Amino acid sequence: MSTPDNGYWYLASYPKSGNTWCRVFITELQRLAGEETPEELNLNLDVETGAIASSRLWLDDQLGINSCDLSFAELDPLRGRAGESAWLFAEGERFHKVHDGFQSPDSRGRPVVSTAGCRGVVYILRHPEDVAVSLSHFFSWSLESCLNFLLDPSAALVPSARHGGHQVRQHMGRWDQHVLSWVDQQQLPVLVMRYEDMLVKGPETFLALTQFLGLPDDPSLVNQALRNTSIESLQKLEDQVGGFAEKPKGAERFFRSGRSGEGAQQLTLEQRQRLAEGLQKVMRRFDYEGVDEA
Amino acid sequence: MSELANCQHNYGAFGLNILSDIPLPELPVHTSTDFSPAAVSITASSHEGWPSLEANEHSTPSLQMAAGDWRLELEGIGWFRAHAGETLSYERWDDSVSDRDLRTFLVTSGLAALLIQRGALVLQGTTLVRNGQAVMLLGAPASGKSTLACCLQQEGWQLLSSELSVVSEQGLVWPGLQQLKLWHDSAVALGLDWAQLPLVRRGLKRYALLPEADVSSQAIPLALIYIIIGGNRNKEAGECEIQTRHVKRQAVALLRLRNNAYQPRVYRAMDQEANLFLQVSALARRVHIYSLELPDSVKRMQQALEKVDLLIAGSLEAKPATELEAAAEAQEEAK
Repeated sequence: MSTPDNGYWYLASYPKSGNTWCRVFITELQRLAGEETPEELNLNLDVETGAIASSRLWLDDQLGINSCDLSFAELDPLRGRAGESAWLFAEGERFHKVHDGFQSPDSRGRPVVSTAGCRGVVYILRHPEDVAVSLSHFFSWSLESCLNFLLDPSAALVPSARHGGHQVRQHMGRWDQHVLSWVDQQQLPVLVMRYEDMLVKGPETFLALTQFLGLPDDPSLVNQALRNTSIESLQKLEDQVGGFAEKPKGAERFFRSGRSGEGAQQLTLEQRQRLAEGLQKVMRRFDYEGVDEA
Repeated sequence: MSELANCQHNYGAFGLNILSDIPLPELPVHTSTDFSPAAVSITASSHEGWPSLEANEHSTPSLQMAAGDWRLELEGIGWFRAHAGETLSYERWDDSVSDRDLRTFLVTSGLAALLIQRGALVLQGTTLVRNGQAVMLLGAPASGKSTLACCLQQEGWQLLSSELSVVSEQGLVWPGLQQLKLWHDSAVALGLDWAQLPLVRRGLKRYALLPEADVSSQAIPLALIYIIIGGNRNKEAGECEIQTRHVKRQAVALLRLRNNAYQPRVYRAMDQEANLFLQVSALARRVHIYSLELPDSVKRMQQALEKVDLLIAGSLEAKPATELEAAAEAQEEAK
């Protein structure tokens, strides 16, 4: 039934955890490994690793309807039927970005993504304190609102049913629920990547990524792709195209700082304690230090 | 077609005489006596009685297709089948499914599949008429077509076809769906009494807006096509111009029309893609195509429309191509 292609993968993460960096790295690695290497990566034209799993256009193509005509409660159980076939005009391997949790309260116990024919998922996670700071810049929210979001079991992107959008609602739940939904699911092979390791132990972390995804894994190529997608390089590429297409209107830029540890500097002690209290178990499991609970 | 005996409802839409066993108030009632369009039927039947289908590789788990046969399974709503460009069959999932639930998909995906089987050019667009000329708004779902169409209706335009529009070889657009679907926030911003509007379907915060005046029963010449594109993220907040850009390159215009066909996958799966290319190629030669960028609020959209005439593309704010747009066009053309 599937349109013949080379299979598909998911790049799953809570927002602002390094997913886009990962997609740009894959694009750059493939560009460098290609026979004809264009001069430089164009962020707005070349980063086509596959539709985000919540794309309305993608879902409509797969389901054969206008998904605006379905409620979220009707759509979530059907979303797992989208993805087995390639996007009509897609070529080659697909790496679909996903911010949804693996399941949603409406999905009737089913994954909200297709698993048939899927080759695996890369789950990228980042210290929740740093996610809070990054979310704050991205959505122009207060840090307090970001904390509430990370701790909200009903947190979702595009949550309103009162207007349409190019993406459908993406239920994420609390940060720790999101992490566990992906890393503990048993239906797809998982590679877990910590953002902090991508920063500090780049060569081995990205080499493991390329090997998991079956991409070219020549270390010199991986290291070159890594250099070309450093935060400084990405900021330069973003400037060259006059703003990355995925940047929200209110944000100054998409690739802002990329550093780790900003949360510890910018959150108050009380705010850090709140996060630790709510998320400690999963934070500890992935070696994230917080502060002691109040 | 023995099922026709059960079809008490007779509609004239998309150049067809549509006989249905359930009422379809979204379609204009068949009134024309000066031509005899082909008759197609919409009737209930058990999906278990449908012949087995060898679905081709362009099918998906929800959408099973082969040349001349299209099957849609929507869990919780029903099964749908379009066959040979003549019959559209349906079966409701269970007794909780209302006629409104069924017809939402019958008159959109179902009729579109049937029309594609008949070799029609079906575009994902809403068409409006003024002074005997039609303007088509193309764009992805939730891109703002219905909101803009509603603003234009408030300016005196008449809806010809919503959601999907069928263009004849002569460049005429047929009357089609007469229902604009508006999200709650748009209905509020447009000043509509949303509490009085029927819901598109139970459970949705989307309302159905049906025309008050009689609609045209004739096909109308298409004057211009506007393809609605996403807003410019670097645009200053508060700008209320409607900006357009002429898509001059034929190859780019053709690809954009192709990408705005109603369900391109259905064309490919039912062996109609070559036909689609020929049709959009002819259309791109016949009609000027503009990309159109809308202001970021309904109020600004209404203000902008007071100053421009969509029938005269030159009256709109011309937007020079950004470096990115020029590069994207070159890339589209290269593909």
